[in-house]
Amino acid sequence: MFTQFQEWYDKRHEYAKDWKQRTGGKVMGCFCSYVPEEMLVAGNILPVRILGSHEPQNVTEPYIFGMYCPFCRDVLAQGLKGRYDYLDGITLSQSCIHLRQSYVAWREHVGVPFDYYLYMPNKVQARAATPYLKSELVKYKAHIEEINGRELTDADLDAGIAAVNRNRELMHKVYEFRKGDTPKLTGLEAMYMTVSSTWIDKEEHSAEIEKVLEQLPDRQVTRDTGARLMLVGSEDDDVSFIDMIESVGATVVVDDHCTGTRYFWNSVVPDDDRLMAIADRYVKRPPCPTKDWEERWRFPHILELCKNFDVQGAVIIQQKFCDPHECDIMPLREAFVKSDIPSLFLEFDVTVPIGQFKVRVEAFLEMIGSEDLF
Amino acid sequence: MAEKEFWRWKEYNWHDESTDWNGCDTITAGVDVGSVSSQAVIMVDGKLYAFASTRTGSDSPESAHKAMKWALEDTGMTLDDIHYKVGTGYGRVNVPFADRAITEIACHARGGNHMYGSSVRTILDMGGQDCKAIHCDERGKVTNFLMNDKCAAGTGRGMEVFADLLSVPIEDIGDLSFQVEKEPPPVSSTCVVFAKSEASGLLRKGWPKNKVIAAYCNAMAHRVVSLLERIGVEKDFAITGGIGKNMGVVKRIEGELGIEALKTNSDTQIAGALGGALFGKALLEKSRKK
Repeated sequence: MFTQFQEWYDKRHEYAKDWKQRTGGKVMGCFCSYVPEEMLVAGNILPVRILGSHEPQNVTEPYIFGMYCPFCRDVLAQGLKGRYDYLDGITLSQSCIHLRQSYVAWREHVGVPFDYYLYMPNKVQARAATPYLKSELVKYKAHIEEINGRELTDADLDAGIAAVNRNRELMHKVYEFRKGDTPKLTGLEAMYMTVSSTWIDKEEHSAEIEKVLEQLPDRQVTRDTGARLMLVGSEDDDVSFIDMIESVGATVVVDDHCTGTRYFWNSVVPDDDRLMAIADRYVKRPPCPTKDWEERWRFPHILELCKNFDVQGAVIIQQKFCDPHECDIMPLREAFVKSDIPSLFLEFDVTVPIGQFKVRVEAFLEMIGSEDLF
Repeated sequence: MAEKEFWRWKEYNWHDESTDWNGCDTITAGVDVGSVSSQAVIMVDGKLYAFASTRTGSDSPESAHKAMKWALEDTGMTLDDIHYKVGTGYGRVNVPFADRAITEIACHARGGNHMYGSSVRTILDMGGQDCKAIHCDERGKVTNFLMNDKCAAGTGRGMEVFADLLSVPIEDIGDLSFQVEKEPPPVSSTCVVFAKSEASGLLRKGWPKNKVIAAYCNAMAHRVVSLLERIGVEKDFAITGGIGKNMGVVKRIEGELGIEALKTNSDTQIAGALGGALFGKALLEKSRKK
């Protein structure tokens, strides 16, 4: 049922190249989930989130610090290895310093026809955040118009907003099927769907989700659900890890990742001022820890997800050296403790030591269950 | 002539000659196939009956068989006489005769609880290639845990490397580490290879072996205490695993923590297999009630 998403996940570059050829559109590499995809879709540009390949590499050392997170280094490696050579442009929407270095090094040492650094405010809780971001989106709109050589009209923006919103709402509907006693899909399948949505044409992706939604209600699930887990933390598109978790007696029922719910959880509320509406969506979306201050908006949201999806335990993932998430781990774990949700912390690198992590995950599952042993 | 391997600790087995297992109600076993050593423990009606500790080879199933064979030696018991067998350790899924696989973290908590008593709340398992700080309740059920990351510093294998470097039998290291006038500062505690390189430099500088050993025991203690501090040490505190027998490390851990670890006459290295055998008993009894 989810094989198309898996194929898209596995063949992301082939897909983007093919899309470009058959549509004549341009492809924009996005360095963060804060890039306003609606505007790119409005301009018939395919937004493609740039992710790593989870392979050891030796090409980034001259361009990025060794103590920057493995995800950022892996992302840059993809550019240096020429795997995204079909991109017409790249956009960084300011999130963290590490990813900014990947963007700058890409711009300097890989090179693309167009590049853009979008000043996404870090203090999204400031009163001026939405109007400020809107003023930046006005400039970004001009950039898109320069790429396309034509104006981005209100009608274009409406179409872009509608296409992306529809995709988000459909993914929400699929997530509803993870709530029941027997989730109709695994966390791995959900990951294939959400991660692939960050680079597949929204209309095509939505059409595929609609097919899935037709079949999901009648899907017969034969595997045991086991413990209901949440994955939370840094960027995580590691299918081998989630597959391992679900092979040892658990089901991942929800997540808080920028390749998961943080990416699609809220929609643009349409307004005559299209850019203000888009800005408002990105300011109010479930935040990345880089932007989650002075109040912590993330934690109540995460706990609400736990409640709604009946989560029994949380696996907290931090990309090694990811300072924003590292700073959140202590208070997040405290928040989990207060809500009686046990948590397991794991540090990710470019490749995940499945054997070592398996012991930890199994022990965690024994900790939250296995009363039969006593 | 082959070069002497100072790291090569002695394999051993034991069984309780005073117990006649024939006609006993429950016979269970735990087999802990670790990265460096493998242990098998046999319990008869909930009492320790036999155990063996052997080196792990390159083949996990073979190592499990070897440990079990040694534990069964001279007992008259065969594998088929054992009612329930639990596999644990890194090779837990490769124990061919196991009825169930359980992680070494759960097994060390349960084994430590049995070995030291139900007052134990923090267990430090110092294994061959990893270290685990475990919190448990009065039943020996894990309530929280932490493992070291991707490095052999602070583990048994690290100590074996030093035994070879210094040409000192590994069993003697603990005692020798106290034969220093003044406690030396620790060598690198982040990496065994770095520590070895640093120790080589100290030897060249003229440091006596005992002082280098003390510096490494100090480094190991420092390393594992940092792990313990991340999770917090709740009393009572106990140490399991092979390094639990090395007083040079144990005393220094106690010194850094400012608390004494519980003492036992049992072999700390069999705690994981012991926990497996105890879980086996619980599972066996539950299966019989069904």
